[in-house]
Amino acid sequence: MDKLHLDQHISQQFNQELEDIRNQVLAMGGLVERQVTNGLTALVENDGDLATQVSEADYQVNAMEVEIDEECIQVLARRAPTASDLRLIVAVIKAITDLERIGDEAEKLGRFAAELSGSNRTLEYRRELRHLGGLVQSMLHDSLDAFARLDADMALKVAQRDDDIDLEYDNLSRLLTTHLMEDPRRVTELLMITWCARALERIGDHSVNICEYVVYLVKGRDIRHTNIGEAGAEDGQTNA
Amino acid sequence: MSSAAEKAFEELKETVGRVTVDNPKMQAKNVDVFYGDKQAIFDVTCDIGKNEVIAMIGPSGCGKSTFLRCMNRMNDTIPSCRVGGDILLEGDSLYSSSVDPVMLRARVGMVFQKPNPFAKSIYDNVAYGPRIHGLANNRAELDDIVESSLQRAGLFDEVKDRLNAPGTSLSGGQQQRLCIARTIAVNPEVILMDEPCSALDPIATARIEELIDELRENYAIAIVTHSMQQAARVSQRTAYFHLGKLVEVGETKTIFTNPTHELTENYITGRFG
Repeated sequence: MDKLHLDQHISQQFNQELEDIRNQVLAMGGLVERQVTNGLTALVENDGDLATQVSEADYQVNAMEVEIDEECIQVLARRAPTASDLRLIVAVIKAITDLERIGDEAEKLGRFAAELSGSNRTLEYRRELRHLGGLVQSMLHDSLDAFARLDADMALKVAQRDDDIDLEYDNLSRLLTTHLMEDPRRVTELLMITWCARALERIGDHSVNICEYVVYLVKGRDIRHTNIGEAGAEDGQTNA
Repeated sequence: MSSAAEKAFEELKETVGRVTVDNPKMQAKNVDVFYGDKQAIFDVTCDIGKNEVIAMIGPSGCGKSTFLRCMNRMNDTIPSCRVGGDILLEGDSLYSSSVDPVMLRARVGMVFQKPNPFAKSIYDNVAYGPRIHGLANNRAELDDIVESSLQRAGLFDEVKDRLNAPGTSLSGGQQQRLCIARTIAVNPEVILMDEPCSALDPIATARIEELIDELRENYAIAIVTHSMQQAARVSQRTAYFHLGKLVEVGETKTIFTNPTHELTENYITGRFG
């Protein structure tokens, strides 16, 4: 976050407060990423212990959200931040809401993984989630990277990858619907797997939001509810 | 100043942002100001729109007050001061030889940092300007002007029973509102305010700010302030001065969320600059 010159305020104390917030967001991002990875691993590797661990660790994500929110409120109240400082605080408040929701989705993965871990019967279906999960993991990772590096161009590129995730989710939904029709006795299990796919797809959406906050933070431009491809083109980007 | 900011300042050829407005009341064009051989203002061009509050901010010594004082020729009182370029009020130059500075200051009023009521009654403080400019034909008309000016300055209800008490008997915030009443009593078109709240407590400040917002309906207002939050609260446009140059002008809502120039950003966020 060197681009923001967070360490150049006349008030050393303010520098420290912003630095703390920034570090905590990065730590929260790391925690959420690990939760998603573990949730997915538990699901496709049939690891019941890991699954339980994921669903039990969600409180840590929630606690971090509350703590960072509190620090941001203190900065708003006491420092009346402006310009890039203000945009940083606003972007952080919004980003951690999405991170917390990603945490909730990861918890869902863990919960379903724990329920499904009793038998190997659905393992072949669960493994179908691996590709979608991989796309989602790397998109989340890169959106957090863009946030850490304050790289708006990267954020715009990463956000566009959500289309691939939506496509993969649609394919997977069709596949799971077909299985459901073929074998209605397994409707409960297959619905759980569908919900897992849905949770992964939602993580992609939250990652897009994080990318949008990066663009707002760096460029001061609100690209929510716009065509992200066009937003990139406005910046003279040549990305696909 | 960081070297990048320093470089950006040196390379600053013209002000960043839109210096003109569609509906100007005053227009400063390429204004230079010298105190003796020392140049205090460099080539500043900036409009003040009708019915707008423009805030002028910047570190001490940046020239914002000097610039404000050019707007009603207050700098004429400083012998070594020379003003280049031109400033127009409704299209007419303030500095043309046919302009009488006393008449000009009735059209472009000024409120100062420290409330400076005359050592006269509250009534006479407000009546002073209308009397010397012959704005009232009789006592009843003068009474009307005094009352309506005090009303518009939000002070009448507090002083209506003691109009003959000395102006200096009022509290600081009331004195400042008295000075504003005195300024608007001569029906100016523009009001210049040089840190009008810096000697006031937060409640008196809030009253003045509320008043500024109401006055905007009838006047163009330029306010110099050291309080960034005040600039953010009261103005529609903000101008940032640095070492005698006008670095950036823009809509206040943009300046405080996404300024363009690095120096503006550094100043409003409290960074080294």
